[in-house]
Amino acid sequence: MELADSLIDDFDVIEFLQGLSARCVELLEISAAGIMLGDEHGELHTIAASDENTHLLELFAIQHDQGPCVDTFRGGGQRTNIDLTDPEATAAFPHFAQQARRNGFAVTHALPLRLRTRMVGALNLFHTESGSLTPENIALAQALADIATIAVLQQRTLEQTYIERDQLQAALTSRIVIEQAKGILAERWNTSLDDAFDRFRSYARNNGLRMSDLARQIIDKGTQHSALS
Amino acid sequence: MLSEQAAKVLGELRAGNRTDEQLAEICADLLNADGLAVSLVLDMGHTELVWCHGTASAQFEDLQFTLGEGPGPDALASGHPVRVPDLAEVRPGRWPALLGALDGLPVRAVFAFPLGLGAIQVGVLTVVRNGPRALSAQETDDATALARLLTARFLGGGQGSNPQVLHRAVVHQATGMVSVQLDRPLAEALMRLRAYAYAHGRPITEVAQDVVARRLRFNDDETGPDVPVGDRG
Repeated sequence: MELADSLIDDFDVIEFLQGLSARCVELLEISAAGIMLGDEHGELHTIAASDENTHLLELFAIQHDQGPCVDTFRGGGQRTNIDLTDPEATAAFPHFAQQARRNGFAVTHALPLRLRTRMVGALNLFHTESGSLTPENIALAQALADIATIAVLQQRTLEQTYIERDQLQAALTSRIVIEQAKGILAERWNTSLDDAFDRFRSYARNNGLRMSDLARQIIDKGTQHSALS
Repeated sequence: MLSEQAAKVLGELRAGNRTDEQLAEICADLLNADGLAVSLVLDMGHTELVWCHGTASAQFEDLQFTLGEGPGPDALASGHPVRVPDLAEVRPGRWPALLGALDGLPVRAVFAFPLGLGAIQVGVLTVVRNGPRALSAQETDDATALARLLTARFLGGGQGSNPQVLHRAVVHQATGMVSVQLDRPLAEALMRLRAYAYAHGRPITEVAQDVVARRLRFNDDETGPDVPVGDRG
């Protein structure tokens, strides 16, 4: 089992990801699953698999330059229900498809391990029988990939996460300042919150202002704001 | 590792066909909890309640918000889960104001799981039970997975990362009104609302509703602060 030690240094997490891979197989009723992580050069390494079958591990290993995980990792999107017997569907990775078929697999899926724009790796699923994953199972597979993403990122030092959290905070704060501005205007005008909000919204629209920006102006300038005083 | 039921819930969470309210409820059911809440960190230790199932859970979150102490704030500060299978067994000095304010609230067990990456805390998932019951190992695994998926959801920037409802909208509206009444900044107005709620042993959302309905005004005049409108001559 190749363990990309530099990618992750906490054995508990690797064990967790192995357990998660095995659970993927049970929950999605598929044949095999593996998790690959990208290194700083953008190359994928196998970090966990549902079983330690050598052929399966080789199948992951050859995806350093081609395969659905590579596509997902570079493009960021899901690649689901890839028919391994269809030359068109596998045109980008013929060698991988051939190896997969030799292992008895008929269908493969790759789901991104991604947080916003940050690509962490990919979850790779295989099934020996042809057929598609249901939308519900794709949602579940992506949920499991998300959990793996967070488990991996929780072990890393992350400056970028500040930015991500700031975006979340900004979205929430925008909504909070609008509520506060409603209260300020309702009190100032001695009117209802709904009426205050209607006038606030019309003013924002008529002046091409975003409501959250206008709300901040009202809060910052207090009673001095000319148009809405 | 994940239970079958948890997998189903996580799939629902990812699929995006349900409201936040429904999701909070199915998550509470999954964990055999009577209430469940998610609060996100704003800044300077302030949190915003974005997911809630159960009135007792909402009131418990309000208390933690008003008093600034409890399992949720501790989980956020430490980055580790805080598990309290029986609040009656907690030494009084741990959360003196909170434990003193729980009278009559049907919350006996509390489990707070931080949402975050490394040292960075995004929010906290708080699960409550009305009886003294610990989480089983399976429930703990499921709650941990849920906390991770919620972290991905709220940090992910995609559908669902912006919560549907601000549960404390009324508190923010009241804060705006009180800031005008007192001619003071919003932060101070919020502090006054919290202090009033604490002093009168009432949930802050209830006090805020009184302000918004103009049953309660905050004035620093000779008649003293906090004079209800109806009581004025």
